[in-house]
Amino acid sequence: MSKDNREEIPQWKQDFPIQQKEATHVSRREFAKFLTLLSGALAVGNTAIVVKSLAFPEKPLVGEHPICLESEVAEGESFQFEIQGSKTIPYLLINLGEGEWRAFEQKCTHLSCAVKYRHDIGQIECPCHKGYFNPRTGNVIQGPPPRPLPQLEVVIREGQVFVKAQNT
Amino acid sequence: MSDFRQSQNEAHPNKTNILLTGIILLLILFVTIQIWFLFGALNNALQENLNFAITTAVGSLAFAFASFWLLRYLPEPIKNSKKK
Ligand code: FES
Repeated sequence: MSKDNREEIPQWKQDFPIQQKEATHVSRREFAKFLTLLSGALAVGNTAIVVKSLAFPEKPLVGEHPICLESEVAEGESFQFEIQGSKTIPYLLINLGEGEWRAFEQKCTHLSCAVKYRHDIGQIECPCHKGYFNPRTGNVIQGPPPRPLPQLEVVIREGQVFVKAQNT
Repeated sequence: MSDFRQSQNEAHPNKTNILLTGIILLLILFVTIQIWFLFGALNNALQENLNFAITTAVGSLAFAFASFWLLRYLPEPIKNSKKK
């Protein structure tokens, strides 16, 4: 009675076969195990999202931040600034005219391109995929962005522009 | 010498094939659903929708356990025990 072929070949030899065909061959059993591993990795990733948002919640902006002088931004112009927090977020300050000011996060809610204010059409435009936002509310007017732009409240005191988190 | 396992394999030569195909199809289904969950959770994490993230994480873990448990049913490779 001959012994089983597999049992005669030690494991280390199976892992380093002589024939290239054997080295590149993936058996169905190995493929199934690989899929299982992938499934485990996906579950770990999904859990990591929950852990991250539970353990490191994003802190809302506290206090007022001075940005610039009122006279520095003409009507219909916009001004870029950044606020250092748990991460640095770029914002866009817009002077809509007639004393109306707005501040929005500058990252498009679609794929994070930088948006810019266009006074000629009175809309905030994302040049990447032609997304348009309402410059008063930040709502999406057109295009692929799924959510409105996050907004900050603008306060003007003695010619100086401040921003703070909304409804605080 | 022939035993029960060997005569089974000879009587139903397709059994291993069908089992493996079934298991692999199920695994692909699980992984697809998990990718879908993960995609949704990533989108919703941005919106601070924690409930959705938790639900998909639990579902994804359940699928992962199901996948590991499925491996129990992987058929042994048919041993090449033909007599010379
Ligand atoms: S990144 Fe702004 S529309 Fe796509």
